[in-house]
Amino acid sequence: MPELARLSLESQGDIELARVAGEVDASNVADLSQRLLAAVPNGARALVLDLSDTSYIDSSGISLIFDAAARLRNRNQELRLVVTPHSFVGEVLGAVSMERSVAIDAALDDALRAVGDSDPREPEAG
Amino acid sequence: MTEDVVIRVEDVQRITESALAYLDLNDLLTELLDRVTDILAADTAAVLLVEEGGRTLAARAAKGLEEEVERGFRLPIGRGFAGRVAFIREPVVIEDLDRSEIQPVNPLFREKGVRSLLGVPLVVEGEVIGVLHVGSLTPREFHERDIELLQVVADRVALSIERSRLMVQGQIAETLQRSLLPRTLPRVPGLRMAARYLPAADETAVGGDWYDVIELRQHRIGFVIGDVAGHGMAAATYMGQLRSAVRAYALDTERPSEVITKLAEFADRMHSRMATVIYATLNLNTWEVRFARAGHPYPLLLHADGTSQFLTDTGGPPLGTVGGATYEEESVNLMAGESLLLYTDGLIERRGHKLVEGEAHLTEVASSAPDEPELKCQAITSELTEDISIADDIAVLVVQTVGLHELLEVEVPAEPGQLATARHLIRRWVEANEGTDDDCAAFAIAVSEACANSIEHAYGPGDAMIELRAALVDGMATVSIRDRGQWREPRGGNRGRGIPIMSEFMDDVSIDSSTRGTTVDLQRRLREGS
Repeated sequence: MPELARLSLESQGDIELARVAGEVDASNVADLSQRLLAAVPNGARALVLDLSDTSYIDSSGISLIFDAAARLRNRNQELRLVVTPHSFVGEVLGAVSMERSVAIDAALDDALRAVGDSDPREPEAG
Repeated sequence: MTEDVVIRVEDVQRITESALAYLDLNDLLTELLDRVTDILAADTAAVLLVEEGGRTLAARAAKGLEEEVERGFRLPIGRGFAGRVAFIREPVVIEDLDRSEIQPVNPLFREKGVRSLLGVPLVVEGEVIGVLHVGSLTPREFHERDIELLQVVADRVALSIERSRLMVQGQIAETLQRSLLPRTLPRVPGLRMAARYLPAADETAVGGDWYDVIELRQHRIGFVIGDVAGHGMAAATYMGQLRSAVRAYALDTERPSEVITKLAEFADRMHSRMATVIYATLNLNTWEVRFARAGHPYPLLLHADGTSQFLTDTGGPPLGTVGGATYEEESVNLMAGESLLLYTDGLIERRGHKLVEGEAHLTEVASSAPDEPELKCQAITSELTEDISIADDIAVLVVQTVGLHELLEVEVPAEPGQLATARHLIRRWVEANEGTDDDCAAFAIAVSEACANSIEHAYGPGDAMIELRAALVDGMATVSIRDRGQWREPRGGNRGRGIPIMSEFMDDVSIDSSTRGTTVDLQRRLREGS
């Protein structure tokens, strides 16, 4: 189906992994946001959002990430992004200084390891 | 030559003269009844027609017995005088009603004092469709030549009535036909479309051709062209059923091959006449066309350089000819400024000419016709129907992708679902003007952000449009996005990131907002640093 974006979800222990392939814009962001947040159970430590296969994201997608980060933080859950360095998505995230608010890793393994290293019960240092 | 015969020839001429053909049916019947009573020295005359169901006759026109029509007189076939004429299908003469074994049903004969009657059947292709009779208020004989003359008039009347019935049906068929064709074509960013339907010159030959444009989900649009065999009401009605069926399958099924396969199954179950059809989809983000063809003439692809090709790779039998037929689909990627021409066989089929000649003529005309789709449609239909009366219906549909020259001007509906199409268009334009992948990506997001702002801030719900204009001057690409609404202040903490993102990717961003609307100008030098 030529859907603009495809979301696939997977649990790895107490980490939720969400992959977004395709394009994210104002036409599909509400739907993605709803499905993404519904996918994270209370017991999960973190959500890893893998944007490696995301070919396009705009300000509505950026808002989705900021919103998700704020909600998860309220529930003492962590959000980490996986973004290929020097990719288009990386550039857009850089334009709004996303790295200051949300942890960004270059590869999925790095993100999963980083969740394992941190203690999610501790309040975020900032 | 006897005097009698000379008079007869003149009489027949008075009945058959061609000027009468221009009268409408009521005037023609009145005129003929006048003339025939005059020629036969009769006092009354009447035409009765067989009604639907074939069991009764009803008065249609009368002279001297006008009340017959006014009162809506009808009688069963087989009874009374006219009923007997229709029943035995031969002339009947009553020399004196008072002494006849045939008892008329119509009380008017007695009221008016009719004494003698001559009636002949109205016959079309072996079927009795009515009765013509003349009467006299004094007893008289009707001679063989009177009977023959009345039969000439009857044949004339029968033909006119049949012709008039076909005309009326043809007019209804054409009205139905036209009501089933799109009144306007949808406005789709990046596409230009035009269509024509030309009914057959002979109204009785109308019916059965159609075209349709269907707005689908997922940035796709569907095109249909089809032709039901035969003419008239039955063909137009079946066309309407097929049209609805394609629309329903198109919304439900993505692949054109599956849509046509389902349609063929539908046609099998209808046990109706043969039909040919093409169903095509166009993806607005890639300009990929996929189509399936059931016995229909080949689509013609017109390249921007004036060359062209028929798309002949796949195809299956016409609908309603082979039970359980399945269909394949083929695809073609449209380039900028290309046109896809869909048409029905009336455009290329000419009596006494081979089909390949018609195809060659179409290729030649389509290639030299103006680029603009409306003008192209006009030129194609008028040049290919020059010197001939249109024997069969013609439907033509032209779908064209915008040309990506230095200047691009398109309108995009102000809906979030159109953002991807706007990005596709601007990427194509930057690509066509030799921008790099980075240039394409930069303009895609900046344009998409500007359009999203217009959608979010400028308009309420409705069918508002955003104008997109891209121009390249000395390597500097400028894209203007213009709406006609008034921007509201950004709402919510996470809003208002669009403008910084535009600035990040562009060399210059300017926003000019007034009461009449907002224009965002985006500028970036192409191939900077490459």
